[in-house]
Amino acid sequence: MDAFVTFVWRISRVCGVISAALLLAAVLAVCHLVFVRYVLNQSAIWQHEFVTFSVIAATFIGSPYVLLKRGHVNVDLLPHYLGERGRFFLALFASGASLAFCAFIAVYGFTFWHEAWVNDWRAETVWAPPLWVPYASVPIGMGLMSLQYVADIVAIVLGRDMPFGAHDPSELAEERSETGGWA
Amino acid sequence: AQTLKASHQWPKDDVRGKMVEIIKTEIEKADVGMDIRVYPSGSLFKPKQQWDAMVKGQLDISAFPLDYASGRHPQFSATLMPGLVKNHDHAKRLNDSAFMDEIKKIINDSGVVVLSDAWLAGGFVGKDFCVDTPDSVQGKVMRAAGPAFEQMLAEAGASINSMPSSEIYSAMQTGVLDGANTSSGSLVSYRIYEQSSCLTPPGDFALWFMYEPILMSKRSFDRLDEDQQDALMAAGQAAEEFFFEKAKGLDQTLVDTYKEAGVKIVNMSKEQYDAWLDVAKESSYKQFEEKVEGGEELIDMALSVD
Amino acid sequence: MSELQLGLVIAVVTVGLLLLGMPVAFALGLVSLIFLYYQDGFFGLGFIADTLYGGLDSFALLSIPMFILMGGAVASSRAGADLYEALDRWLYRVPGGLMASNVGACAIFAALSGSSPATCAAIGKMGIPEMRQRGYPASVATGSIAAGGTLGILIPPSITMIVYGIATETSIGRLFLAGILPGVMLTVLFVAWGLFAAWRKGYRFVDPAVSFSLRDKLVMLPKVGPFLAIIVGILYVLYGGVATPSEAAGVGAMFCLLLVIVIYKLRKPGQLWHIFRDAMKESVMILMIIAAAELFSYMMSSLFITQTLAAWIGDLEVSRWVLMGCVNLFLLVAGFFLPPVAVILMTAPTLLPVVENLGFDAVWFAVVLTLNMEIGLITPPVGLNLYVINGIAPDVRLPTILWGALPFMLCMVLGIVLLCMFPEIALWLPNYLMGPTI
Ligand code: NA
Ligand code: NA
Repeated sequence: MDAFVTFVWRISRVCGVISAALLLAAVLAVCHLVFVRYVLNQSAIWQHEFVTFSVIAATFIGSPYVLLKRGHVNVDLLPHYLGERGRFFLALFASGASLAFCAFIAVYGFTFWHEAWVNDWRAETVWAPPLWVPYASVPIGMGLMSLQYVADIVAIVLGRDMPFGAHDPSELAEERSETGGWA
Repeated sequence: AQTLKASHQWPKDDVRGKMVEIIKTEIEKADVGMDIRVYPSGSLFKPKQQWDAMVKGQLDISAFPLDYASGRHPQFSATLMPGLVKNHDHAKRLNDSAFMDEIKKIINDSGVVVLSDAWLAGGFVGKDFCVDTPDSVQGKVMRAAGPAFEQMLAEAGASINSMPSSEIYSAMQTGVLDGANTSSGSLVSYRIYEQSSCLTPPGDFALWFMYEPILMSKRSFDRLDEDQQDALMAAGQAAEEFFFEKAKGLDQTLVDTYKEAGVKIVNMSKEQYDAWLDVAKESSYKQFEEKVEGGEELIDMALSVD
Repeated sequence: MSELQLGLVIAVVTVGLLLLGMPVAFALGLVSLIFLYYQDGFFGLGFIADTLYGGLDSFALLSIPMFILMGGAVASSRAGADLYEALDRWLYRVPGGLMASNVGACAIFAALSGSSPATCAAIGKMGIPEMRQRGYPASVATGSIAAGGTLGILIPPSITMIVYGIATETSIGRLFLAGILPGVMLTVLFVAWGLFAAWRKGYRFVDPAVSFSLRDKLVMLPKVGPFLAIIVGILYVLYGGVATPSEAAGVGAMFCLLLVIVIYKLRKPGQLWHIFRDAMKESVMILMIIAAAELFSYMMSSLFITQTLAAWIGDLEVSRWVLMGCVNLFLLVAGFFLPPVAVILMTAPTLLPVVENLGFDAVWFAVVLTLNMEIGLITPPVGLNLYVINGIAPDVRLPTILWGALPFMLCMVLGIVLLCMFPEIALWLPNYLMGPTI
């Protein structure tokens, strides 16, 4: 089971790198847009949509990584006042409910993507890029989110990870923390 | 009673908003066990999402600029082609042509029903110049409503900056834009006359017409009984007649408002209009015919309407 | 069940799920799914993916990660420390002492960053240890930075103003301009409080052992110069009408990155990854909430609760100022539980028409809303700035931070009152530079 958990964490980390790269691509594209529009005084054809798509994809794909790093803000008032047992069940509930949401979006997101793919939908602009590409980030991102939540629940049940990221000396927690991995 | 959802992106008192209100009151009057809940100003769906929502049956009725769905059905771009419609009477004749039959067939096949036809006219404004000949936009930064118009203006030598019509005012004010093209309604309601020196209104030779029908989801329509369907069709007809009465008035309001604001008004002559059409044929028409299956036939059908 | 009753049930369920510890974004999302299902069964869920995606489908929104990155490039590198050091040398004799100069540093950094937590982190990393080392109580050190950091969303660029502008179709440039004078006013109020506290408590807030010669000050100029140039450049680009906020944000982010890479010799990919990772984490968190709030608004509108609520408030027979007071109170309470972007997206479309009907200005309301959100940023249970302070000074307990921040919160309330009395504080500059609103 530990192997499963660490494997999912590794995937989420890759997601983080992809998301950061998409952000970089967006910055470069905006700069290119400004150069074309204001220096060359030409029309910008593709940059607006490319940048929008990149940021959307960065959001959905980056989400599992942010979850791994406990970056999605929550109200930690109740967990703060509960005992260890209470925290355990609360963490299971919060993760399970979030998993339900992510799984629903992943499933409906697949239909959303699939329609655009089958019908070859395009953006209604001069560039007219195929929409299935950015749409794919919804099922992929939310699917991996679901996976990360499953791993979270497994880790909590097995006692490998402390509910709500309370201080935890185990090796897994170390790997999950800021300094693990990429620093 | 059954409640239908109607959504559009305009304020309630916009002519398209009023069309939806007319359908709502007509349905109430018909007393067929059905009422309509209107969501104006994009308060339920974003403008471009309305098409998908209707196809899926999530939205029942919408006042919808058909070109917004041209990513789904590229043929729809033909309803926002430069110079395809010359004036309001021409638009009315076009509604009963083979061209519109073809367009409505695509609409129906994708799961949407037309309740009312409506063609909105529009014009051009310039910050410190008049848009008359294609040469006049050479080197200017322009905003156009729709890709076909963007292609035509780019071919004429303008550089294009895309933005929603709500941003034209500040873009012209700050100098991001030199000129713009949009509907008569938007030219008035966004008070763009405060930032322009010259207006080219839709006259006898108007380049910009857009098909903005009232549509209904086929899924929702088929769920209704015959009385309800008939009542909706009748209400749609009433809205359509109301619109046709109003349409020319809108253009007159545009001219009056701009005149009062001290903006110069220029009308496009037949020669200038033809020159633009030549530019369009080299750009938007050509690309449409190349990219869209059956595009050439569609254009020919439309051009053959007198 | 009537729409208003249903609205109450939704509010209770939302608060419940939030309190049970679900991430804000997914709690809002799950509530939306539950009540869309309640309305139409599984058919009602048919548009959830479209809506979630549609919530992010805007070119204007992308300026959010760019403005976060812009500040982050400075905050996550040595540049932040230098900027702080330079500001300290120039501002250390500001009346009110180091605390006031830290607030001033927050205000200046706020002009580089669109985000409040980022501002808090950038100045706090240096400022909090420095203040504590010079003998300030932990409450003052942490509280002042927590509060000063909130200037990040009032002084342009500002993420909340961008979100408000998109949600209500108000010009983002105009909103940015409207935040400048209130931002200055709030900074002055904060500094004034610092001065008053120093005088009342008799703190020796100015350490005589610390002094900087003109030379010390001048030496730092080349290091701050480029950043000030970027701030001025962005202001010029935005208000000179050269480009849109998104374009300015992208170029600004690129310039900040290049500066940090060139001047601070950031050559290792790992260091660059740090900058992008931090910016990405905050952006993704905020954008996810924006997407989920879109779903929530769709659900509320679809159930006709938004419209019924707006009509209900509009029909209330109370004076406009009583209503404005209630609106403020409501925003404050919402700000306790939710991050600013969520509050704005969930309430602005309902409240703005009501507020405008009563003769209030949309741009002015944005500033009042932002001030309320600033208070929310430093109140539990969800206070983004509190998390940042906790990261910097983990040994300082929450009540201590809150005690230190309390006077600043009162300054913000005073700021709201002043804005209500003199709307020109917000409106004069945008109207002067961009002409009256259309
Ligand atoms: Na700021
Ligand atoms: Na709060």
